[in-house]
Amino acid sequence: MGRPYGLLRAGFPFFKTVGMRRHTNFPVDVALGKENRLYILCRNGDASMVRKYTVDEDNLGEIGGVATWGVAIITDNEENLYISDEAKHCIASFNADGESLGTWGEHGDGDGQLNAPAGIAFDAEENIYVADALNHRVQKFTKDGTFISKWGSHGDGEGEFDMPWGITVDELGDVYVVDWRNDRVQKFNSEGEFIFAFGKSGCEDGELNRPTDVAVDEHGDIYVADCGNDRVQLFNSESRYVEKFLGDATLSETAIDYMMTNAGPNRMRDMANLEPQKLFRRPISVTINGDGLLFVADNCSYRVQVYKKHAIPLTEQEFGPPRRSPTLHQE
Amino acid sequence: MSNADVALTAHLMRRAGFGTTLTELEEYVKKGYENVVEDLVDIERCPPIDEDVVDRYFGASEGGYRTTWMYRMLNSPRPLEEKMALFWHHVFATGVGKNQHILASSMQIDMLRGVGLSNMREILLALSKDPAMIFWLDNNENRKGEPNENYGRELLELFSMGVGNYSEDDIKDCSRAFTGWTFTQPPPLYPQGYYPAHFAFIEEEHDNGEKTFLGNTGNLNGDDIIDIIVKQPACAEFISRHLYNFFVADEPQVPSWSVTPPQDPDAIDTLSNAFLDSDGDIRHILRTLFNSDFFKEARFKKVKSPTELVTGILKLVGTYQKPELGMAKYPGATTLMGQELLNPPTVEGWHTGREWIDGGTLTERINFSVGELSDASKPGIGQIISRLKSNGSALSPDEFVDRCLELVGPLDVGETTRESLSRFAASQGDLNIGADDAAEENNARVVRMLQLIVSSREYQFA
Amino acid sequence: MAVSQKDPVLVVVELKGGNDFMNTIIPYTEGVYYDSRPVVGLKEEEVLPLNDTLAWNPNFEPLKDMYDQGEVAIVQGIGYPDSSRSHFRAMDVWHTCEPIEIGTEGWVGRVIRELDPNGENVLTGVSFGKGLPRALALSGVPATSIDNLDTYGLMTDIEADPQRLQALEIFKEMYSPAIGTGVVMDYLSQTGLDVIKGSDALKKAPAMYTSEVEYEENPIAKSLRDVARVHLADLGTRVFYTQHGGYDHHANEVPSHPKLLAELSGAIRDFFKDLRDHDASDEVVMLVFSEFGRRIRDNASGTDHGTGGGAFIIGDHVQGGLYAEYPSLDPARWANGEDLEHTIDFRGIYGTVLEQWMGLDPTPVVDGTFEQIHPFADR
Repeated sequence: MGRPYGLLRAGFPFFKTVGMRRHTNFPVDVALGKENRLYILCRNGDASMVRKYTVDEDNLGEIGGVATWGVAIITDNEENLYISDEAKHCIASFNADGESLGTWGEHGDGDGQLNAPAGIAFDAEENIYVADALNHRVQKFTKDGTFISKWGSHGDGEGEFDMPWGITVDELGDVYVVDWRNDRVQKFNSEGEFIFAFGKSGCEDGELNRPTDVAVDEHGDIYVADCGNDRVQLFNSESRYVEKFLGDATLSETAIDYMMTNAGPNRMRDMANLEPQKLFRRPISVTINGDGLLFVADNCSYRVQVYKKHAIPLTEQEFGPPRRSPTLHQE
Repeated sequence: MSNADVALTAHLMRRAGFGTTLTELEEYVKKGYENVVEDLVDIERCPPIDEDVVDRYFGASEGGYRTTWMYRMLNSPRPLEEKMALFWHHVFATGVGKNQHILASSMQIDMLRGVGLSNMREILLALSKDPAMIFWLDNNENRKGEPNENYGRELLELFSMGVGNYSEDDIKDCSRAFTGWTFTQPPPLYPQGYYPAHFAFIEEEHDNGEKTFLGNTGNLNGDDIIDIIVKQPACAEFISRHLYNFFVADEPQVPSWSVTPPQDPDAIDTLSNAFLDSDGDIRHILRTLFNSDFFKEARFKKVKSPTELVTGILKLVGTYQKPELGMAKYPGATTLMGQELLNPPTVEGWHTGREWIDGGTLTERINFSVGELSDASKPGIGQIISRLKSNGSALSPDEFVDRCLELVGPLDVGETTRESLSRFAASQGDLNIGADDAAEENNARVVRMLQLIVSSREYQFA
Repeated sequence: MAVSQKDPVLVVVELKGGNDFMNTIIPYTEGVYYDSRPVVGLKEEEVLPLNDTLAWNPNFEPLKDMYDQGEVAIVQGIGYPDSSRSHFRAMDVWHTCEPIEIGTEGWVGRVIRELDPNGENVLTGVSFGKGLPRALALSGVPATSIDNLDTYGLMTDIEADPQRLQALEIFKEMYSPAIGTGVVMDYLSQTGLDVIKGSDALKKAPAMYTSEVEYEENPIAKSLRDVARVHLADLGTRVFYTQHGGYDHHANEVPSHPKLLAELSGAIRDFFKDLRDHDASDEVVMLVFSEFGRRIRDNASGTDHGTGGGAFIIGDHVQGGLYAEYPSLDPARWANGEDLEHTIDFRGIYGTVLEQWMGLDPTPVVDGTFEQIHPFADR
């Protein structure tokens, strides 16, 4: 299935909220399983755990002690979990029941060595790309940790990085890297050849402030967790800014259950301004599934906010020809 | 550079900062004492800490606020900014135990960091608008017609002037002036975590009647009260004595100040004059303090607070110069030694000086220090070993002790300690530090010597 | 005064986090219990009946056995007015007996001062665990806090024995008082040498201890075994303090709370058996408490902080039974509309133990006079 010729963007409404304090403390990333299963990586202090939910918020338990400073979590085709640990400089893997499948990676700057690994992503062959943050580069490994290739060095030129963070691979095999301290996203082919970059420092539409993660959906749309601006931005496949998400949270089912037995907090909530409670606080990761559900780890609000994309693919007949200039006249 | 310069600069950095690594100390000494004082006081001369990195690695966690603060103490290129936040935290002691709102308490520290080196008026104004303080001393319950005098009283007694400089009527009208100074309701902790509270002035709850405060009559509001306070010589003296107690030498505990005169009245005069001459400009007062003889002569005249001990040891061993795993345990260490940051026991703050020490806290101090110094591969210990090597291939027991004392401080020790350390050194003969085949054994000897030095009574002093 | 020849000894066990008293001693015949706790409630057929209305949590069986032997007093509905739901504040209140102002003096500290006014024995009050709980903190009153009895003392990170001994010898020399060094230096000398004295004394305890009792492997069992070892070494300790953590069951209460109760009750059983085997139980009474109980209704996974809770007084001289009143389950009488109301003030229970067991005047310790119960058989 190729990418659509064009897209009628009908809307991207808020869908639901998942989690609450104590269940999903400081979520940093979300990975997807089959049957709507979610693996939410939570990092608090020097310890990280995985909370297992379904999208419907059925609690499937937790896996403790998966990392110290966990950054990112991804799943392979068997629904095994891979988690990067930027303090221990390694990638740890577990099955969905939490049994360890081993850990690889060692501290250093040689080929295959890691220094504060951050984002991780599978390609179609289940090789793992790692954003090797303090080595300012991307490395590619087999999923059991055999080094394949690398690119990048410290700097702000094309193909250079300053502490890269999130990383993703689209269905065509291209790689998107969040170049955290350069406030931009860079796109490469699977050989590491530079394709384009977008974003610059700032808080206007399309500008970025210490972005942390990136996701790409089947239409080629690019989602960037613009963490320092407390928002998520959507860019089209050519990196043109489309729209932004500021947070629209509701109370999750778990939170409603809690509030129903807590009279005092109900009163406090009633006395407080509701507006800020909806907004993202440090949205740190973005994940999108095949149904167009966008999961945003709302790090400082202890929850995941979920949006649902409504877009209709357009054929060439349904989508007028490209224009160089804006026009006032609708044909 | 003379030994006296090194000793004096190290003294300055223990007091105005949190100690130094050996490399940092050498750089400071090269700059010259007065220059270092200027760098410390005029903070814009140095860059701020790399906030991005702090945020990336320590950005969010429930225990993280204390950890992050301690990381700042260790690594800020503006150490006095952090030291003044700690100073004001001692004076404006607000406990997270009551509010259970670690974010509000942490934001109070951020506020103190922000205004700590400005002037007294700005500081008291920011304090009076700080939600953690307002809740701590019940000013959120202070309303027209039903005043709550808790904040009004402590503002005068503990935060600005000390007892004996105002009447009970002054307290009443001071409290009335702060009616309606409250904060907005933040959402509850569950389900979405801490949200900040913000200062709010509620006109309907404010008493607009006539008030008389220290001889000034009118429809005084809180800021008018603060304007009056900061012009009082009593305020200048009180803050000067606090600064002296924190930066120069241990004074008796604060509640006894109204009856016990300062140990160095001339020094308090000097500082008070600097206060009054500059309308309470903290930078000016501190510049005066650090350049004074009474400060320079006050080496080791203060018992280190737990925070100073822990940060000093970490500087000595040179760890945590960038974000690393394990930093979170250090706020726990100061807690076991009697100083839980963000949670002083009462509004009087921590009792300092010798009251930091009892059997339990001394045990914690020594075991902590010995534990941190047990690994020769730590960068700071490695540096000490390489400096010892630069003295030649062999050190006599006395040379070994002397050099270690120099590199740890320089630390002045009494005869008893000096002799004990020498006896220990002599029991193993000369230290053939240049002998590479004995590196492991030599490193162990150095480590043991350093462990004994930091266990000494003298090391408990700043 | 105590009837035993030996001085009376008090062991305090603090359950940290707020023990769910309602799931410990269960009102198993009340419909409102089952209605309020669809998730965490125990089933009627699982519980161990105590009488017509109350039953034991099945995991507390060792304590039930001791109760059946007449050695356990259950204090129902313990609390204080306007109970704080904050762990820290609530624990402070229990530690300082100061529910309104913020107190700094620990009640056990005051007890130690009464027992040893000149501070002659640094081991009069001993706490097991990291750091000194505020209950034992009192300026000028020595109290010893032991994290690990087997390695207790100074410079514990120095491992090899002869080296550590040499380091401690040097330490003693460095801390020997010298004329003219000033009051603070002298004070440091004294404090340092006291620490050495205390740890030298404590070193004897593990060495002389032998026992038939095999404690289980868990933190509270380890702590109570440490209490037994120090008590049996006869070092003059009169108050032991220890903590058992993990009772804050907002979530996953069903698997974890029963496990804690099993660990706690098993450890208490083993502890008293150990003392009895050594003929050293006669002088010991144990007080078990927690900073608050939990909410009546569950939150679909656990229970949130509540008010009225329960305590236990255990020992050979205890007259077993139920004391004070179980809080009313009538919704009209729920505190704050959602909590068990307290029926007796905890300061009266401290007072009971201090006056009737330790032979002390409780008034200055708990700062007032409060209703007591009478759980001791021969007083």
